[in-house]
Amino acid sequence: MEEKLLTIGQAAEYLGVSLNTLRRWDENGKLVAIKKGGGTHRYYRENDLEIFASDLMKFASEWIQDGIEFPGTFYCPTSSIFNARLTKMQDILIRKPGFEELYSLIVLITGEIGDNSFAHNLGKWPDTAGIFFGYDLEKRIIVLADRGLGVLATLRQARPKLSNHVEAVKVAFTEFVSGRAPEKRGNGLKLVREVVADRPIDLFFTSGDAEVRMKGQDKVFRVTRGQRVVRGCLAKIEF
Amino acid sequence: MKLQLEKFGKTLISRELGREAFKAFQSTLRDFPKNEELEMDFSGVLTLSPSWADEFLTPLLSQLNNRLVLLKSDNLSVGATIKILQEANKETFRVK
Repeated sequence: MEEKLLTIGQAAEYLGVSLNTLRRWDENGKLVAIKKGGGTHRYYRENDLEIFASDLMKFASEWIQDGIEFPGTFYCPTSSIFNARLTKMQDILIRKPGFEELYSLIVLITGEIGDNSFAHNLGKWPDTAGIFFGYDLEKRIIVLADRGLGVLATLRQARPKLSNHVEAVKVAFTEFVSGRAPEKRGNGLKLVREVVADRPIDLFFTSGDAEVRMKGQDKVFRVTRGQRVVRGCLAKIEF
Repeated sequence: MKLQLEKFGKTLISRELGREAFKAFQSTLRDFPKNEELEMDFSGVLTLSPSWADEFLTPLLSQLNNRLVLLKSDNLSVGATIKILQEANKETFRVK
């Protein structure tokens, strides 16, 4: 059976990355191309591209740790684009059997985490602005990430005495922190924690070296210190 | 007076959008009789987030106090958002 092969141009369009990125990925082994009959032209199987594009956590974590480029379909440079894509996800999720009511809570927590990235980094993005937002509703996973200031640096503006990432993340998820007026109290992450605690939704969240894992039947809210340090934030929602 | 919140959109997320909605609503509020109740109808809203609601409902509550009435909704995100706002603001909304 002849498997359809895409040219490098078609593959670049499929993934939403540049030709140079594909050439680089071929050279460093991240996404190896097929070279027909020992020639120099690069070809790709559509199926391989589909599988490659589906490892959301890998793309998001490699981006926030090492700045590695990811497929354009997952990039939301502005909050408006994020909202539009989130609404699209909502339209699909609302039709999924079993999610006729739960969809709104999943969209709520995704929206809160994503909106936080934009709201807290407006005008202060250290380098790349915007967020990674990818989802696979068949695999029931949503991944969000940003290269922003992260929770500790953000909360220190209102609570200068916060000393480490674990403490800051704990405060972010459990307290209503007020900045100086007219800045409003943050309340989104408190609700995210409550929704995840009460529903069949699992959450992994990391900022700095702090990690939150709420998973399975007897999930509790707990912040632990992990091995890696990331400046921004990364969240994985599974349901 | 009854306000169909759906007029601001079916997916009410983001602080920015909540702020815009509140500003846009001010002109309607100016012509609003001082003794009348404002009923907030959530039908048709698919998702209401605490960020949007904090920028729209919280200042409305300050402006209208117990003239603001929220109509009951079956939507899970509406229920959860109202609950967290009450907790954060230490103020209860009137619900019908």
